[in-house]
Amino acid sequence: MLNLFLSEAFKLRYKLRSWLGPLLILILVLIAFPLSIDISQYDLNKFYFSVIVVALLMISFLATESIFSEDYEDGSLEQLYLKEKDFYKVVFAKILTYVFFIGVPMALIGSIFSIANGISLQEAPKIFIILATSTLILFNVFTFGSALSVNKGSMLGVLVSLPLVLPVIVLLGRAVRTVQYGEDFFEVLTLMLGVGLIVTAIMPIIVSATLKTHLE
Amino acid sequence: MQLITANNLGYSINEKRLFHNLTFSLESGCGLHIKGGNASGKSTLIRMLLGLTSPSKGNIEYCKPSLQIAYLGHKNAIKHYLTPMQNLELIFQPSELQNAVTWMHSLELTKVQDEITANLSFGQQKKLALIRILANPSDLIILDEPFVGLDNLSRDLLSKFLQKQLLLGTSLILTSHIDPDLNCSELILSENNNA
Repeated sequence: MLNLFLSEAFKLRYKLRSWLGPLLILILVLIAFPLSIDISQYDLNKFYFSVIVVALLMISFLATESIFSEDYEDGSLEQLYLKEKDFYKVVFAKILTYVFFIGVPMALIGSIFSIANGISLQEAPKIFIILATSTLILFNVFTFGSALSVNKGSMLGVLVSLPLVLPVIVLLGRAVRTVQYGEDFFEVLTLMLGVGLIVTAIMPIIVSATLKTHLE
Repeated sequence: MQLITANNLGYSINEKRLFHNLTFSLESGCGLHIKGGNASGKSTLIRMLLGLTSPSKGNIEYCKPSLQIAYLGHKNAIKHYLTPMQNLELIFQPSELQNAVTWMHSLELTKVQDEITANLSFGQQKKLALIRILANPSDLIILDEPFVGLDNLSRDLLSKFLQKQLLLGTSLILTSHIDPDLNCSELILSENNNA
């Protein structure tokens, strides 16, 4: 299992476009949005979180789009199947590596930008935890989408899976509200962590079956 | 000892029957050369033996579940954005890497070991992919057209390696339009689709 994590990390290290690209786009969106409107006319603090949430959704979408396509096209997926006899561990390792290298930095960037928009330093770690948990769920769901159409260009499958993440967005919005207005944060966080753990355990099973079908 | 037994294998795709009632077995230390024209089902048969494709009919039995299989198909399974050396680091454990590097020297890839693999010729990429087989101890080697793109020197090297592995007790299944010059049984997939 550790070898699978290390292999994925090794590949990502040399695929700058795959991990640095989404992070740079996230920063660009978060900087460009306030510049594109006349801030003095609006109370930006009230809706900037919506921008962070939507940006997180779109960038997660972008980051996972090619999670399997390269391995599928160059034959590495067949080799992994022969070595591991199953895709569960491969998928699990891939998702967690992507969350670690792309999702967690995304959450960090999101929480830093939230400080710039009225969240206190003490509250920022809460925002970070919420966003990191969200990326875990989003990456899992979008990975399923990517696997669905791995042989036809993964974007189609990721688009199909988009409605599945809408409840996550609602939950994320609710969690952010608890931080903004000092409501019971841990209640929502526990719910999000629960969903995250269930999705992380179950999604690799579904994705494995999908990938195996494509190999046939 | 029988390593693999295939019983009454059949495969159809889109109403087209590729082969049917295919029965054969392979013993340890023996080779099997699958022959046939284009689209006769050679690669499909290989994928069935690997468990990647399910047969429409029949079944395949393996003598042991933990059979170590080294396989190279049409796709090279190498990363084009990495150098050959980095590809080997990705494929092999640190303890196996030295053996892989030795094969890289034998296949004359040392001079391009720090170039991006995408810049290598087709033959050089094929040789790099073959190191996965050459430096990987296994019970069974399965190769789909392994000689395509190789120069004479590399072809001889691969033939000698495979011959040596057969003598050491490793089994071999391959498809090739180029005569491999190996001591193998032949399985011919004809248009009638009977072996």
